Amino acid sequence: MNQPAIAQPLKTWSHLAARRRKPSEYEIVSTNLHYTTDRPDAPFELDPDFGLAAWYKTHRNASPLRHSDWNAFRDPDEMVYRTYNLLQDGQENYVFGLLDQFSERGHDAMLDAGWARHLSRLYTPGRYLFHALQMGSAYLSQMAPASTISNCATYQTADSLRWLTHTAYRTRELSKTFGDLGFGTGERAIWESDPAWQGFRELVEKGLAAYDWGEHFVAMNLVARPAVEEAVLRGLGQTARHNGDTLLALLGDAQLLDADRHRRWTTALVKMALEVEGNREALSGWLAKWAPLGDAAIDAYCRRLPDARDAAGAARDAAAAFRRGLGL
Amino acid sequence: MALLERAEWYDIARSTNWTATYVSDADLFPDVMTGAQGVPAEAWEVYDEPYKTSYPEYVAIQREKDAGAYSVKAALQRSRIFEDADPGWRSILKSHYGAIALGEYAAMSAEARMTRFGRAPGMRNMATFGMMDENRHAQLQLFFPHEYCPKDRQFDWGHKAYHTNEWAAIAARHAFDDLFMARSATEIAVMLTFAFETGFTNMQFLGLAADAAEAGDYTFASLISSIQTDESRHAQIGGPALQVLIANGRKAEAQKLVDIAIARAWRIFCILTGPSMDYNTPREHRKQSFKEFMLEWIAGQFERALIDLGLDLPWYWEKMIAEFDYQHHAYQMGLWFWRPTLWWNPAAGVTPECREWLEEKYPGWNATFGKAWDVIIDNLVQGKVERTLPETLPIVCNMSQIPICAIPGYGWNVKDWPLEYEGRVYHFNSEIDRWVFEQEPERYRGHMTLVDRFLAGHILPPDLGGALAYMSLQPGEMGDDAHGYAWVDAYRELRRAAE
Repeated sequence: MNQPAIAQPLKTWSHLAARRRKPSEYEIVSTNLHYTTDRPDAPFELDPDFGLAAWYKTHRNASPLRHSDWNAFRDPDEMVYRTYNLLQDGQENYVFGLLDQFSERGHDAMLDAGWARHLSRLYTPGRYLFHALQMGSAYLSQMAPASTISNCATYQTADSLRWLTHTAYRTRELSKTFGDLGFGTGERAIWESDPAWQGFRELVEKGLAAYDWGEHFVAMNLVARPAVEEAVLRGLGQTARHNGDTLLALLGDAQLLDADRHRRWTTALVKMALEVEGNREALSGWLAKWAPLGDAAIDAYCRRLPDARDAAGAARDAAAAFRRGLGL
Repeated sequence: MALLERAEWYDIARSTNWTATYVSDADLFPDVMTGAQGVPAEAWEVYDEPYKTSYPEYVAIQREKDAGAYSVKAALQRSRIFEDADPGWRSILKSHYGAIALGEYAAMSAEARMTRFGRAPGMRNMATFGMMDENRHAQLQLFFPHEYCPKDRQFDWGHKAYHTNEWAAIAARHAFDDLFMARSATEIAVMLTFAFETGFTNMQFLGLAADAAEAGDYTFASLISSIQTDESRHAQIGGPALQVLIANGRKAEAQKLVDIAIARAWRIFCILTGPSMDYNTPREHRKQSFKEFMLEWIAGQFERALIDLGLDLPWYWEKMIAEFDYQHHAYQMGLWFWRPTLWWNPAAGVTPECREWLEEKYPGWNATFGKAWDVIIDNLVQGKVERTLPETLPIVCNMSQIPICAIPGYGWNVKDWPLEYEGRVYHFNSEIDRWVFEQEPERYRGHMTLVDRFLAGHILPPDLGGALAYMSLQPGEMGDDAHGYAWVDAYRELRRAAE
């Protein structure tokens, strides 16, 4: 009577079937999708040690950040592709509604030329920074040890392109009113050499070149992103309000909604990591290395914000408060 | 003044290269991940993607597309298309989802590599949409088969296949890892988006959508057409990358990547699409033979695309076209014969009417493949099913991971193309597969085929039962004839009439 059991049809994927609960659409389409984590010694169905295989074994499999079941990670927003587009199409309708309405009203013509000069220095070069965030999230997407983490990183990549897109749009629009301030032509030089941006440039260049997936996550999601959000989106936004630039403030607010979502999954991932012994030390060690770079970037940038009282202190505090809220 | 046209600000959104000074260029773009073939960043800035879109357009259009695909599914939820479809069609669905869904997800990582390590800003932005597209394709192609899980255990393999050592899953992983998952950004642009997507998946999805409509499966037809519209957009990442490589004196390097990619893609399509079109699709629904399809799309359209870009045809072009006549027939016979090792039920597709069609499309089929099928049919007519089941192992190609096979019978041309490298003998299905290995042996040398593992004692007990367990196949999942051998009745009648 030792016939092998006949496998019966299941209500869901076999890997989800052991649980009693009916899986959500999110779980059906998002969980356990990386096959390259199945065999630690050979990420790919190729030679176990050639260049790319060694990269994954070093920077993902051998990361000091460890968990026996990263696939248990769940995005608190349970975002899937379909709902991402529903959400962001709505958000973009709102943003382009703003752009349309402010343009109709002749918004840029009403801006003070002095403020416009600040924008050319402190706002439009930011597209390089947003693009660096886009590149960083794409790295996390391909290196994360679970598809549920990679998906969050993929949507975060697209959100960063969204911020870049808004900035490029405004850059061109501002160039039409302020033709002599270098809008659309001068940003690269400012990004590469203006003291306001050098802290951020150092932070993201080094963050992009941090290839251990755990360290990369800390450098970018726990330090660089909060610094950018607090200094550039919120800090510059507040300054904009004081200079009659309601549009920029509202744009920043709209982008911060994406940032809030990123922080929710980032928080969940840190919480999950802290369940495992040794991870607190790994995360804290990396934070000790990266947080000062984040603070320095905030200081260098906020020092140049006009009409802002202690913007740097507020941004540093907010970024630190976010990290404290993670239990770190 | 209201909203600006996209063309007014598009170039600003893709002016994002800068010169790093806090880390070196080599640290920021390490060669193993970038693979720029020594072409410097400035030279990549002329990169101009032919298909342009922007974030707000993307989310609006994709929202619409998803609304379409999901509403067709919802509308047809209660129809009996699935139950009423020919079992051969269900087998096509099972093999497709199992072989493709997680492969699409891997393609998201490949697009992400171009987003991070691509040297052209336009490439990085387009690949961001490419990441999103592949995320979509994985999710759609998991959500749709998931609904069939309660009806048929084999649909579990829509998710499970890539996590197993089932041989076709090993073959799919080996090919897709080599084509994109384990490649640098530049290689991915050339191999995944240009060679694989422009050359093969685009036309495969068009063909598959037409077959689905013909089979009455409108849910699948609309799903596949919807996916194809994304593919045809992000497939265009590769063309301008090739132009940059060629303009900077890297034509030979680019050509080699294209040649490797086409060789690898051809094998996968040959075993997946060939048997689907010529055997699993019911005779009355066949519009074109696989050979006709390949001649039109690959030898015709894709050949022109290669020439237009200033590339040459791969050195093996004529050899590959010669394979259109026989290789997939050999694979079909292998798939059906080793059917317990599949997660789908292959249709034999060799009724007397089918054989007439095969003989018409492939003159000589009856004298070669037909002879081998005759032995199988004789055994089935006599009720000796056990004699049509495998007891031994084939020799597996160290490149394609598919058994080495070709024409049996009068046209016998089966040949191993061995290669000794660092003291180990590797076996290949053709000169083309062996050539791919020789281009970069360190990518492949330490890999073991399923049969290598068997011989090395990794699979215990060392028999078919042990192999099936190693492949995570148990009764209820293992493949069997799609039609429960009902097609053999026609031969019984013929033999009775002859007596």
